[in-house]
Amino acid sequence: MARPTSGILRNETSAVSARGRLTLSNVSKNFDGTGVPAIQDITLECQPGEFVVVVGPSGCGKSTLLNIAAGMLKPEKGTAAIDGRLIQGPGPDRAMVFQDHGLFPWLSAAQNVEFGLKMAGFSRADRQQRVAEALRMVHLSRSAGKLVHELSGGMRQRVAIARSLVVDPAVLLMDEPFAALDAQTRTLLHQQLQELWVETKKTILFVTHSVGEAVRLADRIIVMHAHPGKIRAEIDIPLSHPRDIDSRDINDLVHRIRREIEDEVNRVNANLAPEDQWKPKAAGDLVDCSANLGSGI
Amino acid sequence: MTALLIWEAAYRFVGWRSYVFPAPSHVLDAVLSMLNIRTAFGEPVKPGWPWPTKGNVVGAVASGPLIEALVVSCSRLLIGFAISVLVGVLLGVVIWTIKSVDQLLGPLFLGLQTLPSVCWVPLGILWFGINERGILFVLVMGSVFAIAISLRDGMRTIPPIYRRAGLMLGASGWKQYAYVLLPASLPALATSLRQGFSFAWRSLMGAELILAAQRHGLGFLLEIGRSFADVAQVVAVMMMMVIIGMLADRFIFAPAERRVHQRFGLVVAE
Repeated sequence: MARPTSGILRNETSAVSARGRLTLSNVSKNFDGTGVPAIQDITLECQPGEFVVVVGPSGCGKSTLLNIAAGMLKPEKGTAAIDGRLIQGPGPDRAMVFQDHGLFPWLSAAQNVEFGLKMAGFSRADRQQRVAEALRMVHLSRSAGKLVHELSGGMRQRVAIARSLVVDPAVLLMDEPFAALDAQTRTLLHQQLQELWVETKKTILFVTHSVGEAVRLADRIIVMHAHPGKIRAEIDIPLSHPRDIDSRDINDLVHRIRREIEDEVNRVNANLAPEDQWKPKAAGDLVDCSANLGSGI
Repeated sequence: MTALLIWEAAYRFVGWRSYVFPAPSHVLDAVLSMLNIRTAFGEPVKPGWPWPTKGNVVGAVASGPLIEALVVSCSRLLIGFAISVLVGVLLGVVIWTIKSVDQLLGPLFLGLQTLPSVCWVPLGILWFGINERGILFVLVMGSVFAIAISLRDGMRTIPPIYRRAGLMLGASGWKQYAYVLLPASLPALATSLRQGFSFAWRSLMGAELILAAQRHGLGFLLEIGRSFADVAQVVAVMMMMVIIGMLADRFIFAPAERRVHQRFGLVVAE
């Protein structure tokens, strides 16, 4: 963000800068109890302040992974921990942004942002100050009084992000937050999210099926494949933040990573029984969404 | 209005007999006479028209059987409906929350909801006697299951993401109910109260018709009309019942439901 910030959110996070180490070790989850597990033997560590993006097709278990980190699901095997503490359930140190925003329609934008603070028992004056700051960070100060159905899709997602940030979590979990938005809005939110991240230095674990989105945002990309959901590759993105989202570098990187993913798939498939092989289809999510970065995907 | 004129004209020209089917003027007569105002619009004007026979007008109107019946019926309705809402909302939330209770009681409630409310009258008499409590019993039994069932069905449509979002933001336990599930159920609640009210009103009229308790409600006025073979009064009281039900729906329950739905963005504001 261009504006110098001295906000509450900023101050707190920099005071405890080493907060937000998310560790998943050997996590497995099998919903139906039989057959192929949704995710199998996932080990993943997010460093404090790191922006990690998990990419994979629908059904590869990336949302399951996120829900385990959030504490909404319990893994059958393995452990999830944050800053060394075992994750037992939802907690104020982790906030989640959902694909379909999950804002409360009976509350205004500001009241939605205020909700977490109210649950945590902040004083009224404190709440007002933090809500105003959070809304300013997502550029929605003027829409504070609007009801959810009066906001556009992009605005709803920004309110959802503000609602998550305002409780000052150590880790921000984002479950395909921009998947339902149009391309232009998505590009705008990519830029805003980068600014927010540079400003707050939260650890972000972000799930998407779009390689383009992943390369734009991530420090590190985790590639997952389905049946069973496993990590098949990890790719570091050596570009600095905030990024020029339509730059040549990113475009090239997307193409390179797509090739790497395909190579990886082929390499893994070579070692697998035919029924366990996975290959991105021509019209599949992964290929489809990374093909045209210019349109903002 | 046009319909009333056609009705009146039909009466005059076809020549129905007033003790079989009254003209609107007879019905108006009946309403006014229940307000202690003698009019005789349907008949040749008699001396003393159109004023109350004795005393001051306001006092006479207020002491007429119609006002008394309205006061009695509406007070019963308020008390009974309040009980019904309290119990019905509680039952609805319980069967929505606890699956096993729903499996046990859900079909029973659904069955009892289809039971015509006057069928509760014999039980009301046997358990409570011919008194206020008997009437309230019929009213509550006639509406409580409708409220519970429709609230449960409405709450089932609450998107699960609200609960997850609430949990993530620290709303668990009673806070989940108070700050997430209860407000999220407002559209369902508004619909179920609207439905429950019409059930309550119908049950009350049925109960009053049969249970001649000490205080006389609208239903009892209907029964008096029948016993005196006063068709005009019967029709007049029936119209009053319709009007009260419609007014309450039009000015209380429908607007409340519409406002909740607008806030939730479920309908486009006009």
